Amino acid sequence: MSSIETLYLTFLTTGFIVGFGHCIGMCGPIVVSFSLNLKTKGVMVPNLLYHAGRITTYALLGGVMGATGAFTRVTTGIGTLQKGAMIFAGLIIILMGLGMSGWIPLGRIFGDYCRPSGIIARSFRKLSGIQSTLAFLPLGLVLGLLPCGPVYTAMIAAAGLGMETQSTFNAVLAGMGLMTVFGIGTVPSLLMVARLSGMGWLRSRNLIYKIGSILMIGVGIYFLIKGFQY
Amino acid sequence: MRSRSRNTYLLGGLWIGMLFFFTIILLNTAQAMDHSKMINCDAHHGTCTQKIKGTDIIFDISPKPVKAMTDLKFTITLTGKQGVSEPFIDLGMPGMKMGPNRVLLKSKEKGVYSGTGIIVRCPSGKRIWKATVTIPDMGSAEFIFDVIY
Repeated sequence: MSSIETLYLTFLTTGFIVGFGHCIGMCGPIVVSFSLNLKTKGVMVPNLLYHAGRITTYALLGGVMGATGAFTRVTTGIGTLQKGAMIFAGLIIILMGLGMSGWIPLGRIFGDYCRPSGIIARSFRKLSGIQSTLAFLPLGLVLGLLPCGPVYTAMIAAAGLGMETQSTFNAVLAGMGLMTVFGIGTVPSLLMVARLSGMGWLRSRNLIYKIGSILMIGVGIYFLIKGFQY
Repeated sequence: MRSRSRNTYLLGGLWIGMLFFFTIILLNTAQAMDHSKMINCDAHHGTCTQKIKGTDIIFDISPKPVKAMTDLKFTITLTGKQGVSEPFIDLGMPGMKMGPNRVLLKSKEKGVYSGTGIIVRCPSGKRIWKATVTIPDMGSAEFIFDVIY
């Protein structure tokens, strides 16, 4: 096995391991929010689309890291974007929580079955253009920019690979490959969380919905605070 | 009557769930506080020393103060017996998996090794990091320190 294949395998395993520890804590609330919002639909397709978007962003970041070989320069450049992604995630979770609680006329934000009844919901849909399950793909693309320690570590490895590779094209491919396998490794844990939070018996209880929405709003506020502090 | 008892069970379950949730948060906070007690190196103000099998391992990071997300120079000085090959440093956080982040060191002069690495920023706000210095065939030493975000 070549050193690049070993590195890919290492980061696939790393993604899998940190998925069950780190990612469940950091990205779990986002996945739970999505799953609870999908009241009558299956959670798998939207979640897979979300992860496809997230992994695409990782791959692009890996490509840039491979091409430049400069971790600190790139992360300084995307720092504002990452801060924005964290604030955006906080806002989305709060909006979902509010919509799910039914306390304000938002409707469920990403539920296809639900026609927007409230003024804010209609405006939100018009603004975001979100009409279907496909909305989870761009959402994953944006939230793939969320700052995360293990993602940074994978980016450092991608930059290192870039420096070791002779041609720029191969360096881009190597960086993209490393970040892609890392992202794939994180998927099983988050799909498991989505599956658990999307279970029918859990979603059919109104009281759980109310409590869940309060927790979601709390988590959204936490993301907002961390985003502004970042 | 039946629906009332079902609601009671449901409420009970929810309270247990919330208690569990807040216990986890409290435990995490307590764990983070414990980690601050683990600090054994003031990397911002000087070098730190530990001993393995009679050899002093002097650990240094520059520039100071030590900031995350910047290129850092790690230097290891060994006084006494040397390892069979060059030492290396694994960077991580105590109690949190951050992925493999290894700093490979090159020999500068006899017993002095240095290399460049990056300590990444954890969005949770935790700032305590661990550098595990491994001297091949001799063992390893852990230097725990805080960084500036």
